[in-house]
Amino acid sequence: MSALLRSLRDGRGFDAALACLALAYLFAFSAFPLIYNIAMSFQEVDMFSLGDLIRPFVGLANYKTLFAAPEFWPIMANTVIFVVLCIVFQLGIGFGLALFFQQDFIGASYLRGLFLAAWIIPALVAGAIWKWIFAGDFGVLNYLLLSSGLINEKIFWLSTPAISLYSVIIANVWLGIPFNMILLSVGLAGIPKDMYEAASLDGAGPWKRFWHMTLPMMRSTLGAVVCLGIIFTLQQFDLFASLTQGGPANASNVAQYWSWQLSFQNYDIATGSAVSVLMLGLVIVVAFLYVRSTRQEHRA
Amino acid sequence: MKRYVLLVIALGFLAIYLFPLYWMYLTAFKPSSETFTFPPRFWPTDPQFNFAKVFVEKKMDVYLWNSLVVAVGTTVIAALIGTGAAYALARVRSVWMDVALFLILMMQVLPPSLMATPIFVLFNQIGLIETPRFAVILAQTAKVLPLYIVLCRTSFMQIPKELEEAARVDGASRLSAFLRIIVPLARNGILVTSVLIFLQSFGEYVYSRTMISQENLQTATVGLMNFMGPNTTDWNGIMTYAVIYVTPIVIVFMLLQRKIVSGLTAGALK
Repeated sequence: MSALLRSLRDGRGFDAALACLALAYLFAFSAFPLIYNIAMSFQEVDMFSLGDLIRPFVGLANYKTLFAAPEFWPIMANTVIFVVLCIVFQLGIGFGLALFFQQDFIGASYLRGLFLAAWIIPALVAGAIWKWIFAGDFGVLNYLLLSSGLINEKIFWLSTPAISLYSVIIANVWLGIPFNMILLSVGLAGIPKDMYEAASLDGAGPWKRFWHMTLPMMRSTLGAVVCLGIIFTLQQFDLFASLTQGGPANASNVAQYWSWQLSFQNYDIATGSAVSVLMLGLVIVVAFLYVRSTRQEHRA
Repeated sequence: MKRYVLLVIALGFLAIYLFPLYWMYLTAFKPSSETFTFPPRFWPTDPQFNFAKVFVEKKMDVYLWNSLVVAVGTTVIAALIGTGAAYALARVRSVWMDVALFLILMMQVLPPSLMATPIFVLFNQIGLIETPRFAVILAQTAKVLPLYIVLCRTSFMQIPKELEEAARVDGASRLSAFLRIIVPLARNGILVTSVLIFLQSFGEYVYSRTMISQENLQTATVGLMNFMGPNTTDWNGIMTYAVIYVTPIVIVFMLLQRKIVSGLTAGALK
Protein backbone atom coordinates (compact mmCIF):
# COMPACT_ATOMS: atom_id res chain seq x y z
CA MET A 1 0.00 0.00 0.00
CA SER A 2 2.75 2.42 0.94
CA ALA A 3 4.59 1.55 -2.29
CA LEU A 4 1.48 2.50 -4.22
CA LEU A 5 1.19 5.78 -2.31
CA ARG A 6 4.84 6.55 -2.94
CA SER A 7 4.42 5.83 -6.62
CA LEU A 8 1.44 8.19 -6.72
CA ARG A 9 3.42 10.87 -4.91
CA ASP A 10 6.69 10.62 -6.72
CA GLY A 11 6.70 8.34 -9.66
CA ARG A 12 4.93 7.02 -12.67
CA GLY A 13 1.82 6.21 -10.70
CA PHE A 14 0.93 9.89 -10.64
CA ASP A 15 0.75 10.19 -14.42
CA ALA A 16 -1.00 6.86 -14.74
CA ALA A 17 -3.62 7.89 -12.17
CA LEU A 18 -4.32 11.17 -13.99
CA ALA A 19 -4.68 9.44 -17.35
CA CYS A 20 -6.77 6.61 -15.92
CA LEU A 21 -9.24 9.00 -14.31
CA ALA A 22 -10.14 10.46 -17.69
CA LEU A 23 -10.12 7.06 -19.37
CA ALA A 24 -12.42 5.67 -16.69
CA TYR A 25 -14.85 8.53 -17.28
CA LEU A 26 -14.75 8.01 -21.03
CA PHE A 27 -15.19 4.30 -20.59
CA ALA A 28 -18.27 4.77 -18.39
CA PHE A 29 -19.99 7.39 -20.55
CA SER A 30 -18.72 6.72 -24.10
CA ALA A 31 -17.25 3.26 -24.57
CA PHE A 32 -19.72 1.43 -22.37
CA PRO A 33 -22.80 2.98 -24.03
CA LEU A 34 -21.21 2.05 -27.35
CA ILE A 35 -20.90 -1.60 -26.32
CA TYR A 36 -24.35 -1.48 -24.76
CA ASN A 37 -25.66 -0.15 -28.06
CA ILE A 38 -24.24 -3.12 -29.94
CA ALA A 39 -25.90 -5.45 -27.43
CA MET A 40 -29.24 -3.65 -27.73
CA SER A 41 -29.20 -3.98 -31.50
CA PHE A 42 -29.47 -7.77 -31.03
CA GLN A 43 -32.26 -7.55 -28.47
CA GLU A 44 -35.93 -6.83 -28.42
CA VAL A 45 -36.17 -3.37 -26.87
CA ASP A 46 -39.26 -1.22 -26.62
CA MET A 47 -40.69 1.26 -24.18
CA PHE A 48 -41.82 -1.60 -21.88
CA SER A 49 -38.52 -3.44 -21.67
CA LEU A 50 -36.55 -0.22 -21.40
CA GLY A 51 -35.93 -0.67 -17.69
CA ASP A 52 -35.12 -4.39 -17.83
CA LEU A 53 -31.56 -5.56 -17.62
CA ILE A 54 -32.19 -8.83 -19.40
CA ARG A 55 -34.15 -8.69 -22.62
CA PRO A 56 -34.99 -11.34 -25.19
CA PHE A 57 -32.21 -11.97 -27.68
CA VAL A 58 -33.47 -11.78 -31.24
CA GLY A 59 -30.30 -12.30 -33.23
CA LEU A 60 -30.23 -10.40 -36.48
CA ALA A 61 -33.97 -9.70 -36.53
CA ASN A 62 -33.51 -5.95 -35.97
CA TYR A 63 -31.06 -5.76 -38.83
CA LYS A 64 -33.43 -7.74 -41.06
CA THR A 65 -36.24 -5.29 -40.27
CA LEU A 66 -33.87 -2.46 -40.98
CA PHE A 67 -32.70 -3.71 -44.37
CA ALA A 68 -36.27 -4.56 -45.34
CA ALA A 69 -37.53 -1.06 -44.51
CA PRO A 70 -38.41 0.75 -47.77
CA GLU A 71 -36.71 3.93 -46.57
CA PHE A 72 -33.43 2.22 -45.68
CA TRP A 73 -31.62 2.51 -49.03
CA PRO A 74 -32.87 6.01 -49.89
CA ILE A 75 -31.73 7.27 -46.48
CA MET A 76 -28.33 5.62 -46.85
CA ALA A 77 -28.00 7.16 -50.32
CA ASN A 78 -28.93 10.55 -48.84
CA THR A 79 -26.25 10.10 -46.19
CA VAL A 80 -23.62 9.42 -48.82
CA ILE A 81 -24.75 12.38 -50.99
CA PHE A 82 -24.79 14.60 -47.92
CA VAL A 83 -21.29 13.66 -46.83
CA VAL A 84 -19.71 13.73 -50.30
CA LEU A 85 -21.20 17.06 -51.41
CA CYS A 86 -20.55 18.73 -48.06
CA ILE A 87 -16.91 17.64 -48.08
CA VAL A 88 -16.34 18.65 -51.70
CA PHE A 89 -17.75 22.15 -51.28
CA GLN A 90 -16.47 22.85 -47.76
CA LEU A 91 -13.03 21.73 -48.76
CA GLY A 92 -13.05 23.50 -52.12
CA ILE A 93 -14.33 26.83 -50.82
CA GLY A 94 -12.30 26.52 -47.62
CA PHE A 95 -9.12 25.82 -49.58
CA GLY A 96 -9.80 28.72 -51.93
CA LEU A 97 -10.31 31.12 -49.04
CA ALA A 98 -7.25 29.76 -47.23
CA LEU A 99 -5.12 30.41 -50.32
CA PHE A 100 -6.59 33.88 -50.66
CA PHE A 101 -5.94 34.83 -47.03
CA GLN A 102 -2.41 33.45 -47.34
CA GLN A 103 -1.55 36.58 -49.31
CA ASP A 104 0.03 39.48 -47.51
CA PHE A 105 -2.38 42.32 -46.72
CA ILE A 106 -3.52 44.29 -43.69
CA GLY A 107 -5.70 42.36 -41.29
CA ALA A 108 -5.50 39.11 -43.27
CA SER A 109 -5.27 36.82 -40.25
CA TYR A 110 -7.80 38.82 -38.24
CA LEU A 111 -10.41 38.80 -41.01
CA ARG A 112 -9.79 35.11 -41.59
CA GLY A 113 -10.50 34.47 -37.92
CA LEU A 114 -13.80 36.34 -38.13
CA PHE A 115 -15.19 33.61 -40.37
CA LEU A 116 -15.26 31.41 -37.29
CA ALA A 117 -18.00 33.64 -35.82
CA ALA A 118 -20.49 31.57 -37.82
CA TRP A 119 -18.91 28.32 -36.70
CA ILE A 120 -19.09 29.20 -33.00
CA ILE A 121 -22.84 29.90 -32.87
CA PRO A 122 -25.02 26.91 -31.96
CA ALA A 123 -25.80 24.84 -35.08
CA LEU A 124 -29.45 24.80 -34.10
CA VAL A 125 -29.56 28.60 -34.23
CA ALA A 126 -27.74 28.53 -37.57
CA GLY A 127 -30.48 26.16 -38.72
CA ALA A 128 -33.16 28.60 -37.59
CA ILE A 129 -31.50 31.46 -39.48
CA TRP A 130 -31.19 29.37 -42.64
CA LYS A 131 -34.80 28.24 -42.36
CA TRP A 132 -35.80 31.88 -42.51
CA ILE A 133 -33.44 32.58 -45.41
CA PHE A 134 -34.84 29.56 -47.29
CA ALA A 135 -38.47 30.53 -46.58
CA GLY A 136 -40.49 30.08 -49.79
CA ASP A 137 -42.66 33.19 -49.95
CA PHE A 138 -40.70 35.77 -47.99
CA GLY A 139 -37.22 34.26 -47.95
CA VAL A 140 -34.34 36.49 -48.88
CA LEU A 141 -32.61 33.77 -50.93
CA ASN A 142 -35.54 33.52 -53.33
CA TYR A 143 -35.59 37.29 -53.59
CA LEU A 144 -31.89 37.49 -54.44
CA LEU A 145 -32.13 34.71 -57.03
CA LEU A 146 -35.28 36.15 -58.59
CA SER A 147 -33.95 39.67 -58.82
CA SER A 148 -30.66 38.51 -60.30
CA GLY A 149 -32.62 36.57 -62.91
CA LEU A 150 -31.19 33.17 -62.00
CA ILE A 151 -34.63 31.69 -61.35
CA ASN A 152 -38.06 32.54 -62.71
CA GLU A 153 -40.28 31.46 -59.86
CA LYS A 154 -39.91 30.98 -56.14
CA ILE A 155 -38.26 27.78 -55.01
CA PHE A 156 -39.70 26.07 -51.95
CA TRP A 157 -36.35 25.02 -50.61
CA LEU A 158 -37.42 22.98 -47.63
CA SER A 159 -40.73 21.46 -48.73
CA THR A 160 -39.82 20.25 -52.21
CA PRO A 161 -38.66 16.62 -51.92
CA ALA A 162 -36.11 16.91 -54.72
CA ILE A 163 -34.48 19.98 -53.17
CA SER A 164 -34.74 19.70 -49.39
CA LEU A 165 -31.60 17.59 -48.95
CA TYR A 166 -29.59 20.10 -50.97
CA SER A 167 -30.88 22.94 -48.82
CA VAL A 168 -29.49 21.21 -45.73
CA ILE A 169 -26.25 20.64 -47.63
CA ILE A 170 -26.00 24.37 -48.42
CA ALA A 171 -26.46 25.25 -44.75
CA ASN A 172 -23.95 22.63 -43.63
CA VAL A 173 -21.36 23.73 -46.19
CA TRP A 174 -21.77 27.25 -44.84
CA LEU A 175 -21.19 25.98 -41.30
CA GLY A 176 -18.17 23.91 -42.28
CA ILE A 177 -16.23 26.41 -44.40
CA PRO A 178 -14.44 28.26 -41.55
CA PHE A 179 -13.12 25.12 -39.90
CA ASN A 180 -11.75 23.79 -43.19
CA MET A 181 -10.25 27.14 -44.04
CA ILE A 182 -8.50 27.61 -40.69
CA LEU A 183 -6.99 24.11 -40.67
CA LEU A 184 -5.84 24.41 -44.29
CA SER A 185 -4.29 27.79 -43.51
CA VAL A 186 -2.12 26.11 -40.90
CA GLY A 187 -0.92 23.63 -43.49
CA LEU A 188 -0.21 26.40 -46.01
CA ALA A 189 1.73 28.40 -43.43
CA GLY A 190 3.98 25.38 -42.92
CA ILE A 191 5.23 25.41 -46.53
CA PRO A 192 8.57 27.25 -46.70
CA LYS A 193 8.29 30.52 -48.65
CA ASP A 194 11.71 30.29 -50.30
CA MET A 195 10.61 27.17 -52.14
CA TYR A 196 8.06 29.24 -54.02
CA GLU A 197 10.64 31.91 -54.77
CA ALA A 198 13.03 29.34 -56.16
CA ALA A 199 10.26 27.85 -58.29
CA SER A 200 9.24 31.22 -59.73
CA LEU A 201 12.87 31.93 -60.59
CA ASP A 202 12.91 28.66 -62.47
CA GLY A 203 9.91 29.89 -64.41
CA ALA A 204 7.05 27.95 -62.78
CA GLY A 205 3.72 29.79 -63.11
CA PRO A 206 1.14 30.04 -60.33
CA TRP A 207 -0.86 27.05 -61.58
CA LYS A 208 2.25 24.88 -61.83
CA ARG A 209 3.39 25.95 -58.38
CA PHE A 210 0.00 25.06 -56.93
CA TRP A 211 -0.18 21.71 -58.68
CA HIS A 212 3.40 20.55 -58.16
CA MET A 213 4.26 22.17 -54.83
CA THR A 214 1.26 23.26 -52.78
CA LEU A 215 -0.88 20.17 -53.31
CA PRO A 216 1.84 17.57 -52.63
CA MET A 217 3.03 19.50 -49.55
CA MET A 218 -0.54 19.69 -48.28
CA ARG A 219 -1.23 16.00 -48.68
CA SER A 220 -1.22 15.06 -45.01
CA THR A 221 -3.14 18.16 -43.95
CA LEU A 222 -5.76 17.54 -46.65
CA GLY A 223 -6.05 13.94 -45.49
CA ALA A 224 -6.64 15.00 -41.90
CA VAL A 225 -9.11 17.70 -42.89
CA VAL A 226 -11.11 15.32 -45.09
CA CYS A 227 -11.27 12.74 -42.28
CA LEU A 228 -12.37 15.38 -39.77
CA GLY A 229 -14.88 16.67 -42.32
CA ILE A 230 -16.44 13.22 -42.76
CA ILE A 231 -16.61 12.79 -38.99
CA PHE A 232 -18.25 16.20 -38.44
CA THR A 233 -20.68 15.74 -41.34
CA LEU A 234 -21.77 12.41 -39.92
CA GLN A 235 -22.29 14.18 -36.58
CA GLN A 236 -24.58 16.83 -38.05
CA PHE A 237 -27.94 16.53 -36.35
CA ASP A 238 -29.04 20.01 -35.31
CA LEU A 239 -29.45 21.31 -38.87
CA PHE A 240 -31.74 18.42 -39.78
CA ALA A 241 -33.75 18.99 -36.62
CA SER A 242 -34.23 22.69 -37.28
CA LEU A 243 -34.49 22.75 -41.08
CA THR A 244 -36.46 19.78 -42.44
CA GLN A 245 -36.70 17.11 -39.72
CA GLY A 246 -35.80 14.65 -42.42
CA GLY A 247 -38.83 15.55 -44.48
CA PRO A 248 -40.74 15.82 -46.66
CA ALA A 249 -41.32 12.04 -46.53
CA ASN A 250 -37.69 11.24 -45.63
CA ALA A 251 -36.47 13.08 -48.74
CA SER A 252 -33.80 14.83 -46.70
CA ASN A 253 -33.32 12.20 -44.02
CA VAL A 254 -29.87 10.85 -43.20
CA ALA A 255 -28.84 7.91 -41.06
CA GLN A 256 -27.78 9.83 -37.95
CA TYR A 257 -31.11 11.66 -37.81
CA TRP A 258 -33.12 8.59 -38.72
CA SER A 259 -31.54 6.59 -35.90
CA TRP A 260 -32.64 9.22 -33.40
CA GLN A 261 -36.14 9.42 -34.93
CA LEU A 262 -36.56 5.65 -34.73
CA SER A 263 -35.59 5.61 -31.06
CA PHE A 264 -37.27 8.72 -29.75
CA GLN A 265 -40.18 9.41 -32.08
CA ASN A 266 -41.21 5.90 -33.10
CA TYR A 267 -39.97 4.39 -29.80
CA ASP A 268 -38.38 1.64 -31.86
CA ILE A 269 -35.19 1.62 -29.85
CA ALA A 270 -33.87 -1.70 -31.14
CA THR A 271 -33.93 -0.64 -34.80
CA GLY A 272 -32.57 2.77 -33.85
CA SER A 273 -29.65 1.01 -32.16
CA ALA A 274 -29.07 -1.12 -35.24
CA VAL A 275 -28.78 2.02 -37.41
CA SER A 276 -26.32 3.51 -34.89
CA VAL A 277 -24.20 0.39 -34.92
CA LEU A 278 -23.88 0.53 -38.71
CA MET A 279 -22.99 4.22 -38.63
CA LEU A 280 -20.62 4.01 -35.67
CA GLY A 281 -18.76 1.26 -37.47
CA LEU A 282 -18.22 3.61 -40.39
CA VAL A 283 -17.21 6.52 -38.14
CA ILE A 284 -14.66 4.38 -36.34
CA VAL A 285 -13.02 3.35 -39.63
CA VAL A 286 -12.69 7.01 -40.67
CA ALA A 287 -11.45 7.96 -37.20
CA PHE A 288 -8.82 5.26 -37.39
CA LEU A 289 -7.52 6.73 -40.65
CA TYR A 290 -7.54 10.25 -39.14
CA VAL A 291 -5.67 9.24 -36.02
CA ARG A 292 -3.09 7.38 -38.07
CA SER A 293 -2.52 10.29 -40.43
CA THR A 294 -2.07 12.85 -37.65
CA ARG A 295 0.19 10.59 -35.63
CA GLN A 296 2.53 10.09 -38.54
CA GLU A 297 2.71 13.82 -38.97
CA HIS A 298 3.44 14.19 -35.28
CA ARG A 299 6.31 11.72 -35.37
CA ALA A 300 7.88 13.24 -38.44
CA MET B 1 -2.02 49.31 -53.92
CA LYS B 2 -2.43 45.57 -54.48
CA ARG B 3 -2.70 45.11 -50.73
CA TYR B 4 -5.71 47.44 -50.52
CA VAL B 5 -7.44 45.66 -53.38
CA LEU B 6 -6.92 42.38 -51.54
CA LEU B 7 -8.29 43.91 -48.35
CA VAL B 8 -11.44 45.05 -50.16
CA ILE B 9 -11.94 41.62 -51.73
CA ALA B 10 -11.42 40.01 -48.32
CA LEU B 11 -14.06 42.28 -46.76
CA GLY B 12 -16.37 41.33 -49.63
CA PHE B 13 -15.93 37.61 -48.95
CA LEU B 14 -16.52 38.16 -45.26
CA ALA B 15 -19.66 40.22 -45.90
CA ILE B 16 -21.13 37.51 -48.16
CA TYR B 17 -20.20 34.81 -45.72
CA LEU B 18 -21.59 36.55 -42.64
CA PHE B 19 -24.75 37.71 -44.41
CA PRO B 20 -26.94 35.13 -42.58
CA LEU B 21 -25.85 36.64 -39.25
CA TYR B 22 -26.68 40.12 -40.57
CA TRP B 23 -30.07 38.86 -41.72
CA MET B 24 -30.76 37.49 -38.22
CA TYR B 25 -29.96 40.85 -36.58
CA LEU B 26 -31.88 42.80 -39.22
CA THR B 27 -35.01 40.64 -38.92
CA ALA B 28 -34.91 40.98 -35.15
CA PHE B 29 -34.95 44.77 -35.47
CA LYS B 30 -37.72 44.91 -38.07
CA PRO B 31 -41.33 45.55 -37.07
CA SER B 32 -43.37 42.39 -37.68
CA SER B 33 -45.30 44.07 -40.49
CA GLU B 34 -42.05 44.69 -42.35
CA THR B 35 -40.80 41.13 -41.84
CA PHE B 36 -43.14 39.85 -44.52
CA THR B 37 -42.63 42.34 -47.28
CA PHE B 38 -41.45 41.13 -50.63
CA PRO B 39 -39.08 42.44 -51.86
CA PRO B 40 -37.49 42.46 -48.41
CA ARG B 41 -35.76 45.56 -47.04
CA PHE B 42 -32.04 45.30 -46.42
CA TRP B 43 -31.79 48.20 -44.03
CA PRO B 44 -33.88 48.94 -40.90
CA THR B 45 -36.12 51.90 -41.57
CA ASP B 46 -38.07 51.73 -38.35
CA PRO B 47 -36.03 49.67 -35.86
CA GLN B 48 -37.98 47.96 -33.09
CA PHE B 49 -36.70 46.74 -29.79
CA ASN B 50 -38.74 43.63 -29.00
CA PHE B 51 -36.00 42.06 -26.96
CA ALA B 52 -37.52 42.52 -23.50
CA LYS B 53 -40.93 41.38 -24.74
CA VAL B 54 -39.64 38.18 -26.38
CA PHE B 55 -37.37 37.50 -23.42
CA VAL B 56 -40.31 37.58 -20.99
CA GLU B 57 -42.91 35.94 -23.26
CA LYS B 58 -40.70 33.03 -24.23
CA LYS B 59 -39.44 32.54 -20.67
CA MET B 60 -35.92 32.88 -21.91
CA ASP B 61 -34.62 33.42 -18.39
CA VAL B 62 -35.50 29.81 -17.56
CA TYR B 63 -34.06 28.39 -20.80
CA LEU B 64 -30.87 30.42 -20.70
CA TRP B 65 -30.35 29.55 -17.04
CA ASN B 66 -30.62 25.84 -17.86
CA SER B 67 -28.19 26.19 -20.75
CA LEU B 68 -25.83 27.97 -18.39
CA VAL B 69 -26.14 25.20 -15.80
CA VAL B 70 -25.35 22.57 -18.45
CA ALA B 71 -22.44 24.55 -19.92
CA VAL B 72 -20.87 25.42 -16.56
CA GLY B 73 -21.31 21.88 -15.23
CA THR B 74 -19.77 20.38 -18.35
CA THR B 75 -16.85 22.79 -18.37
CA VAL B 76 -16.07 22.26 -14.67
CA ILE B 77 -16.11 18.45 -14.87
CA ALA B 78 -14.16 18.41 -18.15
CA ALA B 79 -11.53 20.77 -16.69
CA LEU B 80 -11.21 18.78 -13.45
CA ILE B 81 -10.80 15.43 -15.17
CA GLY B 82 -9.20 16.55 -18.42
CA THR B 83 -6.41 18.84 -17.22
CA GLY B 84 -4.54 16.09 -15.41
CA ALA B 85 -4.97 13.66 -18.27
CA ALA B 86 -3.76 16.24 -20.79
CA TYR B 87 -0.67 16.80 -18.64
CA ALA B 88 0.08 13.10 -18.25
CA LEU B 89 -0.34 12.51 -21.98
CA ALA B 90 1.94 15.42 -22.81
CA ARG B 91 4.68 14.44 -20.33
CA VAL B 92 5.02 10.69 -20.46
CA ARG B 93 6.26 8.93 -23.57
CA SER B 94 5.37 5.28 -23.42
CA VAL B 95 3.43 2.70 -25.33
CA TRP B 96 0.65 2.87 -22.75
CA MET B 97 0.26 6.60 -23.15
CA ASP B 98 0.14 6.19 -26.93
CA VAL B 99 -2.63 3.65 -26.51
CA ALA B 100 -4.47 6.00 -24.12
CA LEU B 101 -4.19 8.91 -26.54
CA PHE B 102 -5.41 6.73 -29.38
CA LEU B 103 -8.46 5.63 -27.37
CA ILE B 104 -9.22 9.24 -26.41
CA LEU B 105 -9.02 10.39 -30.03
CA MET B 106 -11.38 7.60 -31.03
CA MET B 107 -13.87 8.72 -28.38
CA GLN B 108 -13.82 12.20 -29.85
CA VAL B 109 -15.54 11.12 -33.03
CA LEU B 110 -18.66 9.38 -31.71
CA PRO B 111 -21.70 11.27 -33.04
CA PRO B 112 -23.95 12.35 -30.15
CA SER B 113 -27.15 11.61 -32.05
CA LEU B 114 -26.07 8.00 -32.38
CA MET B 115 -24.93 7.79 -28.75
CA ALA B 116 -28.20 9.31 -27.51
CA THR B 117 -30.09 6.01 -27.61
CA PRO B 118 -27.75 3.87 -25.48
CA ILE B 119 -27.02 6.74 -23.08
CA PHE B 120 -30.74 7.37 -22.62
CA VAL B 121 -31.51 3.71 -21.93
CA LEU B 122 -28.51 3.37 -19.62
CA PHE B 123 -29.29 6.54 -17.66
CA ASN B 124 -32.92 5.51 -17.46
CA GLN B 125 -31.90 2.22 -15.84
CA ILE B 126 -29.66 3.77 -13.22
CA GLY B 127 -32.16 6.53 -12.43
CA LEU B 128 -30.13 9.45 -13.78
CA ILE B 129 -33.07 10.60 -15.93
CA GLU B 130 -34.64 11.79 -12.65
CA THR B 131 -32.02 14.56 -12.61
CA PRO B 132 -32.08 15.34 -16.31
CA ARG B 133 -29.79 18.37 -16.38
CA PHE B 134 -27.14 16.42 -14.50
CA ALA B 135 -27.61 13.55 -16.96
CA VAL B 136 -27.06 15.94 -19.88
CA ILE B 137 -23.94 17.32 -18.17
CA LEU B 138 -22.48 13.81 -17.77
CA ALA B 139 -23.20 12.88 -21.39
CA GLN B 140 -22.00 16.19 -22.81
CA THR B 141 -18.79 15.98 -20.73
CA ALA B 142 -18.06 12.60 -22.29
CA LYS B 143 -18.60 14.23 -25.68
CA VAL B 144 -16.24 17.18 -25.14
CA LEU B 145 -13.64 15.64 -22.79
CA PRO B 146 -11.48 14.21 -25.62
CA LEU B 147 -11.37 17.58 -27.37
CA TYR B 148 -10.47 19.26 -24.07
CA ILE B 149 -7.63 16.81 -23.49
CA VAL B 150 -6.28 17.10 -27.03
CA LEU B 151 -6.31 20.90 -27.02
CA CYS B 152 -4.86 21.26 -23.52
CA ARG B 153 -2.18 18.71 -24.20
CA THR B 154 -0.52 21.03 -26.71
CA SER B 155 -0.12 23.77 -24.12
CA PHE B 156 1.43 21.36 -21.61
CA MET B 157 3.84 20.19 -24.29
CA GLN B 158 5.23 23.70 -24.56
CA ILE B 159 6.28 23.86 -20.90
CA PRO B 160 9.92 22.83 -20.40
CA LYS B 161 10.39 19.75 -18.26
CA GLU B 162 13.26 21.42 -16.37
CA LEU B 163 10.93 23.77 -14.49
CA GLU B 164 9.13 20.85 -12.95
CA GLU B 165 12.35 18.99 -12.24
CA ALA B 166 13.74 22.00 -10.38
CA ALA B 167 10.68 22.06 -8.16
CA ARG B 168 11.06 18.34 -7.51
CA VAL B 169 14.68 18.82 -6.48
CA ASP B 170 13.46 21.41 -3.98
CA GLY B 171 11.34 18.67 -2.44
CA ALA B 172 7.93 19.25 -3.97
CA SER B 173 5.76 16.21 -4.56
CA ARG B 174 4.46 15.46 -8.04
CA LEU B 175 1.04 16.81 -7.09
CA SER B 176 2.28 20.10 -5.69
CA ALA B 177 4.71 20.61 -8.59
CA PHE B 178 1.78 19.98 -10.95
CA LEU B 179 -0.61 22.33 -9.18
CA ARG B 180 1.87 25.10 -8.25
CA ILE B 181 4.20 25.16 -11.25
CA ILE B 182 2.70 23.43 -14.27
CA VAL B 183 -0.96 24.41 -14.09
CA PRO B 184 -0.26 28.14 -13.61
CA LEU B 185 2.10 28.05 -16.60
CA ALA B 186 -0.51 26.36 -18.79
CA ARG B 187 -3.21 28.70 -17.47
CA ASN B 188 -3.82 30.39 -20.82
CA GLY B 189 -4.30 27.17 -22.74
CA ILE B 190 -6.58 25.78 -20.05
CA LEU B 191 -8.71 28.93 -20.05
CA VAL B 192 -9.12 29.16 -23.82
CA THR B 193 -9.96 25.47 -24.09
CA SER B 194 -12.49 25.82 -21.28
CA VAL B 195 -14.14 28.76 -23.05
CA LEU B 196 -14.37 26.73 -26.25
CA ILE B 197 -15.90 23.78 -24.40
CA PHE B 198 -18.25 26.17 -22.61
CA LEU B 199 -19.46 27.75 -25.85
CA GLN B 200 -20.02 24.34 -27.43
CA SER B 201 -21.99 23.09 -24.45
CA PHE B 202 -24.03 26.30 -24.28
CA GLY B 203 -25.42 25.36 -27.70
CA GLU B 204 -25.91 21.65 -26.96
CA TYR B 205 -29.13 20.22 -28.41
CA VAL B 206 -29.32 16.44 -28.94
CA TYR B 207 -28.87 15.29 -25.36
CA SER B 208 -31.04 18.07 -23.90
CA ARG B 209 -33.83 17.27 -26.33
CA THR B 210 -33.56 13.55 -25.59
CA MET B 211 -33.21 13.53 -21.83
CA ILE B 212 -35.03 16.59 -20.47
CA SER B 213 -38.80 16.36 -20.59
CA GLN B 214 -39.84 18.95 -17.97
CA GLU B 215 -40.21 22.29 -19.69
CA ASN B 216 -38.74 24.30 -16.82
CA LEU B 217 -35.47 22.34 -17.06
CA GLN B 218 -35.04 22.56 -20.84
CA THR B 219 -32.17 24.44 -22.45
CA ALA B 220 -32.27 27.42 -24.80
CA THR B 221 -31.79 25.28 -27.93
CA VAL B 222 -34.81 23.13 -27.03
CA GLY B 223 -36.74 26.30 -26.19
CA LEU B 224 -35.95 27.68 -29.63
CA MET B 225 -37.17 24.46 -31.27
CA ASN B 226 -40.40 24.57 -29.22
CA PHE B 227 -40.85 28.13 -30.41
CA MET B 228 -40.23 27.25 -34.05
CA GLY B 229 -42.86 24.52 -34.20
CA PRO B 230 -44.03 22.96 -37.48
CA ASN B 231 -45.87 25.94 -38.99
CA THR B 232 -43.98 28.93 -37.75
CA THR B 233 -44.75 32.40 -38.94
CA ASP B 234 -43.31 34.57 -36.17
CA TRP B 235 -39.88 34.92 -37.76
CA ASN B 236 -39.45 38.27 -36.16
CA GLY B 237 -39.81 36.70 -32.71
CA ILE B 238 -37.62 33.72 -33.55
CA MET B 239 -34.80 35.93 -34.83
CA THR B 240 -35.14 38.11 -31.73
CA TYR B 241 -34.80 34.98 -29.58
CA ALA B 242 -31.77 33.94 -31.63
CA VAL B 243 -30.16 37.37 -31.23
CA ILE B 244 -30.57 37.32 -27.44
CA TYR B 245 -29.13 33.82 -27.30
CA VAL B 246 -26.26 34.30 -29.73
CA THR B 247 -25.00 37.82 -28.98
CA PRO B 248 -23.12 36.92 -25.75
CA ILE B 249 -21.48 34.01 -27.60
CA VAL B 250 -20.41 36.27 -30.46
CA ILE B 251 -19.01 38.85 -28.01
CA VAL B 252 -16.97 36.24 -26.12
CA PHE B 253 -15.69 34.95 -29.45
CA MET B 254 -14.69 38.43 -30.67
CA LEU B 255 -12.74 39.05 -27.46
CA LEU B 256 -10.88 35.76 -27.59
CA GLN B 257 -10.77 35.30 -31.36
CA ARG B 258 -7.02 35.09 -31.78
CA LYS B 259 -6.52 32.67 -28.90
CA ILE B 260 -9.42 30.45 -29.90
CA VAL B 261 -8.15 30.19 -33.46
CA SER B 262 -4.60 29.32 -32.43
CA GLY B 263 -5.74 26.83 -29.77
CA LEU B 264 -8.03 25.12 -32.24
CA THR B 265 -5.44 24.79 -34.97
CA ALA B 266 -2.75 23.52 -32.63
CA GLY B 267 -5.00 20.81 -31.27
CA ALA B 268 -6.67 19.51 -34.37
CA LEU B 269 -3.58 18.79 -36.40
CA LYS B 270 -1.03 17.69 -33.81
